[in-house]
Amino acid sequence: MIKAHLAVRGASKRFGPATVLDDLSIGVAQGEFVSLLGPSGCGKTTLLRCIAGLLRLDAGSIAVAGRDISALPAHKRNVGVVFQNYALFPHLTVAENIGFGLRAQGVGAAEAAPRIAEALALVRMSEFAARPVTALSGGQQQRVAVARALVVRPTLLLLDEPFSALDRKLRETMQVELKHLLREVGITAIFVTHDQEEALVVSDRIAVMRDGRIEQLADPATLYQQPASLYVLEFVGQSMRLGGTVRAAEAGEVMVETRLGAVRAPGHFAAGSQVVVAVRPEAVSLGGAAPGLNSFEARVSEVSFLGSRTQLHLDLADEQDSGMVELARLPAGIGPGSAVPVAFPVAETMVFPAS
Amino acid sequence: MRRDPLALLALPGVGYLVIVFLAPLLLLLYASVRGPDGFSLDGYARVLGDPYYRGVIGASLQLALITTGGALLLGYPAAFALARARGTTQVVLFALIFLPLTVSIIVKSFGWGIVLRRDGILNWALLNLGLIERPVRMIFTEGALYAGMINVFLPFMVLPIYAVVRMLDPRLPDAAATLGASPWFRFTRVTLPLSLPGVVAGVSLVFSLSVAAYVTPSLLMGDRYMTMSMVMAKAFLNLRDWQLGAAMAAVLLVVALVVVVGAAALQRRLGGR
Repeated sequence: MIKAHLAVRGASKRFGPATVLDDLSIGVAQGEFVSLLGPSGCGKTTLLRCIAGLLRLDAGSIAVAGRDISALPAHKRNVGVVFQNYALFPHLTVAENIGFGLRAQGVGAAEAAPRIAEALALVRMSEFAARPVTALSGGQQQRVAVARALVVRPTLLLLDEPFSALDRKLRETMQVELKHLLREVGITAIFVTHDQEEALVVSDRIAVMRDGRIEQLADPATLYQQPASLYVLEFVGQSMRLGGTVRAAEAGEVMVETRLGAVRAPGHFAAGSQVVVAVRPEAVSLGGAAPGLNSFEARVSEVSFLGSRTQLHLDLADEQDSGMVELARLPAGIGPGSAVPVAFPVAETMVFPAS
Repeated sequence: MRRDPLALLALPGVGYLVIVFLAPLLLLLYASVRGPDGFSLDGYARVLGDPYYRGVIGASLQLALITTGGALLLGYPAAFALARARGTTQVVLFALIFLPLTVSIIVKSFGWGIVLRRDGILNWALLNLGLIERPVRMIFTEGALYAGMINVFLPFMVLPIYAVVRMLDPRLPDAAATLGASPWFRFTRVTLPLSLPGVVAGVSLVFSLSVAAYVTPSLLMGDRYMTMSMVMAKAFLNLRDWQLGAAMAAVLLVVALVVVVGAAALQRRLGGR
C-alpha cells in the first residue's frame, strides 16, 4: 500500500439513505491493471467517478503518485476516463475529439498536431482523422475514446465498462488489443466491469466488490482457485456446489454430510456447522471412488455441448445447490436421465460457511 | 414517381390551409398591388419610402430583437434548470414557465397595465418602502413594453431549448472535465454548441412572433409605439387603405420568412455535423 500509485483510503459515499461506498480501501501499483468487478449497485462505478473527481467522497482520501487529489475538481486531477458508450463529442471530428483535451489545457496547435497524429496512429485511426465520430463503428469509437483519454498523458486511466457496447466477437478482440496497447503505453489502468470473463482477460488483479466494499482483491488465478467467500466463488467462474452439515473435523479436514453423500474437504469448521462445499467444474471427472477423491452418484438433467468442452448439469435435490460439471470429452451413452459416477480431488474441494 | 397512399391523409389538412391561409394570402398580395387605377406599387413605395412607415418597421424590428434577446438571456438558463430538475422541483418549474401560456395574452397585458400604472402595485410598493417619493412613470415607457413582451414570449424560447438540452448526454461535459477542461471551456466548447439547435429554434420562433406583436404594444404603449401590425390594423380598420395595409403585411411576411428560412438552414447545418 505504501508504494501504491493509486491509494484509496477509507472511501465512503452515501446517496441519501443508501451507503454506496463503505470505508473502502485499495492500492494499485504503477503500471498495474486492476478490475473492479461486481454486480450493478455494488459501488464500482461510484468508486470510479470518485477517483475521476466527478463525485466527491463523503469521507476518506484518494492519492495518485503520493499526492492527495481528494479535494481537486475533475479537470485538475489529470485522471483519464474512457466512458461507457464512450461519450465522444458528436459535434467534433475524430481529430478534434482527440485534440479536445490538449486545447482545453492550452497546448498550442504546433505542439498539439504531432501529438494528435501520434495518438491516431497508436489506435490505428489515422485515415479517419477528418471523419465525424457519429459515422464510426463501435470498435472505432472505442479506439477514439482511448486515444482521446491517453493523448493528455493522464497519470491514471479509468475505463467504465469499455466493452459493453461491442458485440461478443469484437469484444474479445478488443479486450486483448486494448490490454496490449495500454501495456505498451505503460499506464496504470482501472477497469470497471460486471463481466467476470472480461475481468479475467484484462486484469493483473481483480477486486470483487459487494455492497460498497471489496470482498477480495487478488490475481485472477488466486481468485478462481481460492475464492475468499461463497460470493466470490459464485461471481467468478462456474462451480458445482452442495449444501451440507459438518459431521467430523480433524487435522485441517472436514467431513461434510450432503444429500448425495459424504464429501471431504480441507478446512476448519466445527462439527454441526452449516456449510457449502464447492468444486470447479474442470476438477470433476466421471469415475468411481479412489484414494484422495470424493465421489458419489448423480443423475444428469441436461447436457450442453460447447465445442471444446461439454457441460453436464446434475440433478441435485436442493435449489441452492448447483450441479455444473465440465468435461473435455463426453463418454458415449450419457444423456439426460443417465446416472453417472462423479469424482473430484479432496484437495481441490472448497468449503464455505453457508450464507 | 411512386405515390404513397398515406400522403392522401394530408389532404384534409392541406385543403383547409389552402382555403383559410393560401387563398387569403393571395388575395392580400393582390390587394397590395391594386391601386385606384389598376396595378400600382404605390403601397410598397409608401411603406418602404415614407420615413414614418420606415420608422415603424425599424421599431418593430427593434422590439422583436430586444424581446428575443431578453427571452434568450432569461430562457436559456431556465431551460437548463428545467432539464436538470427532478421530482417536485421540476413540476413547480414547469408550472411557473408554462402556466402563463394558459392565460390569454390580453389578460396578461392588462395585468402588466395594473402592475405598472401610476397608482399601480409596483409604484405603491416602492412608495411604501420609501424607495421613491413620488410615483414613477412606468406604463407607456419602452421598459414596460419590453418587460411585457418578454413575459408573453418567454415560454416559446424555453420550450425548444429545453427539448434539446433534455437530450444532452450529461457525460459529455463530464468527459470534457476529465480531459482537463475548466467549467467555462466545457460550456463554450461542448454544452453551448450542442444546445445551439434549440437556441436557433427558440430565437426564430420568438422573433417571428414578436415582430408581428399587436396586443401587447397596443395595451402597454398605445399609439406611442407603432408596430407593423398596429399600422396594418389602422390601415384596414380606420383608414380603409387596403393597399397600405396589404403592403405592410407583405413586408412583415417577408421579414418573418427570412428569419424562419434562415433558421431552418442554420439548423440543418448544425444538425449535419
